[in-house]
Amino acid sequence: MMNKSICIVFNKAPYGSQAGRELLDIALMAAAFDMPITALFVEQGVYQLLKGQEPDILDIKNHSATFKALPLYGIEDILVEEDALQKFNLNVQELVEIDGLKTISSSHAQSLLANSDFILTL
Amino acid sequence: MATYSLLVTANPYSSQGQLRAIQFAKTLLEQGHELMRVFFYADGVLVASRLHAPPADEINLTKAWAKLAIEKDIELIACVTAANKRGIVNVAEAERNALTGNNLDPAFEISGLGQLTEAMLNSDRLITFG
Repeated sequence: MMNKSICIVFNKAPYGSQAGRELLDIALMAAAFDMPITALFVEQGVYQLLKGQEPDILDIKNHSATFKALPLYGIEDILVEEDALQKFNLNVQELVEIDGLKTISSSHAQSLLANSDFILTL
Repeated sequence: MATYSLLVTANPYSSQGQLRAIQFAKTLLEQGHELMRVFFYADGVLVASRLHAPPADEINLTKAWAKLAIEKDIELIACVTAANKRGIVNVAEAERNALTGNNLDPAFEISGLGQLTEAMLNSDRLITFG
């Protein structure tokens, strides 16, 4: 039973809530259990990956650099919803550099969710 | 029949999530499913304090969880990082952090996020109540 897949969905912008950081902690922990994990960034969640964040101004710890560590933990499917980037007028070059990061269509994201054993979001 | 685990992140008294989770847990057990574990994360851990004193005509969510856990032998586990941050501590964590008291309800356990992953490995479904 070691091959259940998890899709972790980041759908909120950082710092207004701790959801991003708390999901990231779940992702890193689950990676240690050898489960296939996908990190999916949709809607305002794409802001989690924006470069040059300075939340220390708000006395909040910056967790955005930790996303770069995802591949080191064995999480290689890091997917960003294309429509969300467009909606917020962002492009991939403005995101933190993560090995293997890919953009996907909303319909691809939907089928990914439909085929995951577990979907986690906060 | 399926094996379920629950992930509860709802703040106990400012949203409905905890109450819905308790009702969901009761219903799935009534219907003959198994409930392996309830994992409390984010603001959800706040329910693990034994010091809540809601008005007498309102539900005490901590006691409602405790009753369910004792009657049906269900694990209630609160994430240690989320709990420590929010002032929910057992004796060991109070000592480790040099705190003046502890408040974990005896029906709950403090443990790590690994317990959430393990719950997914051993359950057919994980339902989040946020």
